[in-house]
Amino acid sequence: MAEGKLRNITYAQAIRTALREELKRDQRVLLFGEDVGYYGGVYGATVGLQKEFGEARVRDTPISEMAIAGVAVGAALAGYRPVAEIMYEDFLAHASDAIVNNAAKWRYMSGEQFTLPIVFRSPGGGGAGYAAQHSQSLEAWFTHIPGLKVVAPGLPRDARGLLKAAIRDDNPVVFLEHKAHYTYKGEVPVSEEVIPLGIAEVRRPGRDATVVSWSKTLTYALEAAEGLAREGIDAEVLDPRTLQPLDMAAILESVGKTGHLIVAHEAVGFGGFGAEIVAQVVERGLDMLKRPPVRVAAPFVPIPYSEPLETFVIPQVADIIAGVRRCVGAGP
Amino acid sequence: MPMKDRERLLHFYEDMLRIRFFEEKVRDVLYPQRLFRGSSHLAIGQEAVAVGAVHALAADDYVISTHRGHGHAIAKGMDLRRTFAEVMGRKTGCGRGKGGSMHLADASLNFIGENPVVGSNTPMAAGLALAAKLDGNGRVAAAFMGEGALNTGAFHEAANLAALWALPVLFLCENNLYAISVPLDKSSALQDLERRAEAYGIPGQRVNGMRVMEVYDAVSRAAQATREHSFPCFLVFDTYRFEGHHTSDKQTYRTEEEALEEFRRRDPIHILEFEMIDDHTVPIPRTIEYRDRIRAEVDAAFEAALEEPWPAPEAALTGVYAEGGE
Repeated sequence: MAEGKLRNITYAQAIRTALREELKRDQRVLLFGEDVGYYGGVYGATVGLQKEFGEARVRDTPISEMAIAGVAVGAALAGYRPVAEIMYEDFLAHASDAIVNNAAKWRYMSGEQFTLPIVFRSPGGGGAGYAAQHSQSLEAWFTHIPGLKVVAPGLPRDARGLLKAAIRDDNPVVFLEHKAHYTYKGEVPVSEEVIPLGIAEVRRPGRDATVVSWSKTLTYALEAAEGLAREGIDAEVLDPRTLQPLDMAAILESVGKTGHLIVAHEAVGFGGFGAEIVAQVVERGLDMLKRPPVRVAAPFVPIPYSEPLETFVIPQVADIIAGVRRCVGAGP
Repeated sequence: MPMKDRERLLHFYEDMLRIRFFEEKVRDVLYPQRLFRGSSHLAIGQEAVAVGAVHALAADDYVISTHRGHGHAIAKGMDLRRTFAEVMGRKTGCGRGKGGSMHLADASLNFIGENPVVGSNTPMAAGLALAAKLDGNGRVAAAFMGEGALNTGAFHEAANLAALWALPVLFLCENNLYAISVPLDKSSALQDLERRAEAYGIPGQRVNGMRVMEVYDAVSRAAQATREHSFPCFLVFDTYRFEGHHTSDKQTYRTEEEALEEFRRRDPIHILEFEMIDDHTVPIPRTIEYRDRIRAEVDAAFEAALEEPWPAPEAALTGVYAEGGE
């Protein structure tokens, strides 16, 4: 594909670009949440949007996550395309009645009488020293719910292109950003780009092992692959980008080539989304696997505060390198 | 009584009978014959609220209901056969058999549906009202709830937001005195429930929920104010559920005498019939005619729904996601 002009922008700027473009494109797109209007979001992802599009469409809300998510459901049922921001993924616990019980199920329960085009944006993840109640990675909560789509972009280009697709999608989408990643920079096309949901991307081709990773951990996986290359292990890094729907065909194709599967994510390993990927590869492609798959994930503990503790718990580049080595049988 | 009012009253009477006979059919035929699954939440005794309130709204106003919502659905105009078919899990039900008694909905009537997660429909009503306000179409969003819903965080958040954003929401609270088994005096610190509205700067009013014209008049005034000023209103209707929380409720929390005595004293349909006979709106034999005619209509809808096909089992796998988008 011929590349147009690119610019180097942050993950937060990429999110803002998508929101701005979609607010401009479609009058029925609304944006609301805590501090998203005048203040521009606690991570600056919505700076300037209220000024540009007005207080009717870009709204500050009270600290009322149940209302934020529930209002989004109601507005969608009446024909709008709301983007609701929940300030921390942890607070999705408050909002999850509207997301899980209402948004995900209203279409099904009503015999397809309604569509619910909603995006629930929320930053998760650790590494910023916010401790146990402001650092979780909860994608597995939502990938488990039929009726929801779940997106977890790792690169600014995908954050922009996938958010645009999520806003245009006729289904509720849980769009999980990473709070320690908002200042991460990457190349993003200047011209409009909508990246369809459900298509994985090979970030780094390789012959020896498939590392599946998303969100901020993806960038660690890419770094790990460079390190592994120096010791002669050629790792392929595959970014599913969307967790629901999941591009299993791309994962199976890659594993078919490499014979080794490593899934790396920041969430707790037990019951995490990596388990789903491993299970599907085992069910559908066991004969392709030369060695048992490996999950690189957080241990079964809350995210701790102190830096050495948090860094120990959250998978780092070295953990991924060790996981790949273990998978391919290359020493400790 | 002017002709117009008389016709309106008779129309309300018919709809109240329609709801009553529908629910009696659920109680007396569907339940013992196991023609529905799970449980069904009857609003026998609360018909005056459903009929008076819904008829005070414009046809395109949004209504969002609760688990106890057969009456709201029927008052909004839902087809009885399609409603029975859904309660019995048939393919031709409003939800294609995927929702059942607790998930009735009809998009064509702006009956957004029942939401049986208590309190959960109130933020949705605020969202519907936000859409109406932005569209400038003059619609209001009416959310029914029981008094139990007032104790949820969702209601608190929705009421505050609706007032803060000046949204045209009608919060319609049916105080039937019981949240499953827990009576009002054990669930709410404040017994004058309409005073809850003060906390949000919303007008609050208590209404006799057993007299359909009082409900109609109160909701008409509230809807007009809500529409004109784009601001929420909160109404509490004193009513009573003569049946259990659902069809399998053993009702150990109250005496049989209490329910019977309440029924004898406060049945909204009897009250309306006495009033109509008293003021010569309708002579006694005509009420019998009305009852027979509506009962036959409900019976016919039920018999027709009984013949409706079951969904193909694999239909369970479709309708989860909408195809495409913009």
